[in-house]
Amino acid sequence: MKKLLPLAALLIIAGCQDTTNTINSMEPMNVQGVKTDQVITDSFLKGRLKVMRVNKGYTPAGLLKVQVALRNDRTGVFSEWWSSYTKENPYTIAYKFTWLDENGMMVNNNTGNWLFANIIPGDTLYLQAVAPNERCKNFTLSLKEHDYKENF
Amino acid sequence: MKKQKLIVLGVASAAVVFVAGCNSGGEASYIDPGGTRSLITADGVNTKDWQIASNALINSLLQSGELNRPDGRKTVVMIGVVKNKTSEHVDTNMLTNLVRTAMLRTGKAVITTAVGGRGAEDKSTHQVRDLENDDVFNQSTVQKRGTAIAPDMSLAGEIIQQQTVSGKRHESYFQFHLTLTDLKTGLAVWEDTKEIAKQNRTQSVGW
Repeated sequence: MKKLLPLAALLIIAGCQDTTNTINSMEPMNVQGVKTDQVITDSFLKGRLKVMRVNKGYTPAGLLKVQVALRNDRTGVFSEWWSSYTKENPYTIAYKFTWLDENGMMVNNNTGNWLFANIIPGDTLYLQAVAPNERCKNFTLSLKEHDYKENF
Repeated sequence: MKKQKLIVLGVASAAVVFVAGCNSGGEASYIDPGGTRSLITADGVNTKDWQIASNALINSLLQSGELNRPDGRKTVVMIGVVKNKTSEHVDTNMLTNLVRTAMLRTGKAVITTAVGGRGAEDKSTHQVRDLENDDVFNQSTVQKRGTAIAPDMSLAGEIIQQQTVSGKRHESYFQFHLTLTDLKTGLAVWEDTKEIAKQNRTQSVGW
C-alpha cells in the first residue's frame, strides 16, 4: 500500500495539469535562407521555449511574410506542476517583430509593438507577421517572458 | 487649558499638512507606449488592446493584397465610420489612425481627407475652391473644381463588447471588426475580426 502512495501522488499531480499533446513532424531546423538566430530570446526563456521553425514567404503584393513556430518545452510531471505552482501555466510571453531594409536599417512602422501570447506546456505557437512595405527585406523577432503584475 | 487646546490644534494642523504633503500623487514615469508595462483593465479598451487589434487587422489586410491595383495606381481610401458598440466611451480613431497610417506606409494606398464617413475630415479641400470668386486671390493659383480624386475604397467597421460575470470573475469580450469596401461595386473585398477577451477577479474586502 505504501508503495502505491507516491504513484497515486504523481497521478494526482499529473491530473491537475493543463497541458496539450501535439503531434507534428517539425524538428528544430532552419528553412533555407532564414536563420533561426533572427529570433532573440532572453537566456531564461531559451530553456522553456524552443524555436522550431522559421518560415518566410511573400504576399501577393510582394510583402515579406514570416512565421515563427515556438514550442513550450516545459513538459513532464514536475515541470508542469512547478509551472502551475508558479502560475506560469499558461506561460505568457511578449514578442515584437522589427523590420529591416536591405542595408539592415530599421524600418519605422506602427506595428512594432510588444504583443502578448499565452502558450501551454507542450503546445506550439505560431507567430505571423507581414512586413509593412516592400523595403523590408529582413526581420528580427524579440521574445521575453511577461508577468501581468507589470500591468496593474 | 486654552493654551493646551491651541497646542493640540497646532500639532493636528501640522500633521494634516505633513500627511497631505507626503501624498502628492505618487511617482510618475514615462513608459514606452508600445512596451509591456501599460495598464490593463478588464472593462475597458486599453492601449495594448488597440495595438493588438490594429496589428492583427493590418497583418490581415496586407496579406490580402486588396490594396494592389492592376493599373499600378495607388488605391484611394476614405475613412468611413467605425461604430462604438461597447459600454465605454472610446474614440474609434485609436483604431483607424493606426490602420490608415499602416496603409499609407505600404506605398500602395493613399487616404483622402476630403470625404469621410462623418463628413470631410479636412474641410480645406472644399473651402479653397470657394476662393474662385474672391478677388483677393490670384485666380491662377486657386485650385480648380473637378481636380480632387474620389475614393476607390472605404474603410469602416465596429467594436462590440460583451460582458460576463460569474461569481467573483468578470470577463469582457471585445470584437474589433473592419471592412474594406470597393466603392465601384459596393462589395466588401476584405474584412476581418480580431477578438480580445480579458478576465479579472474581484478582490475580497481586506485591509
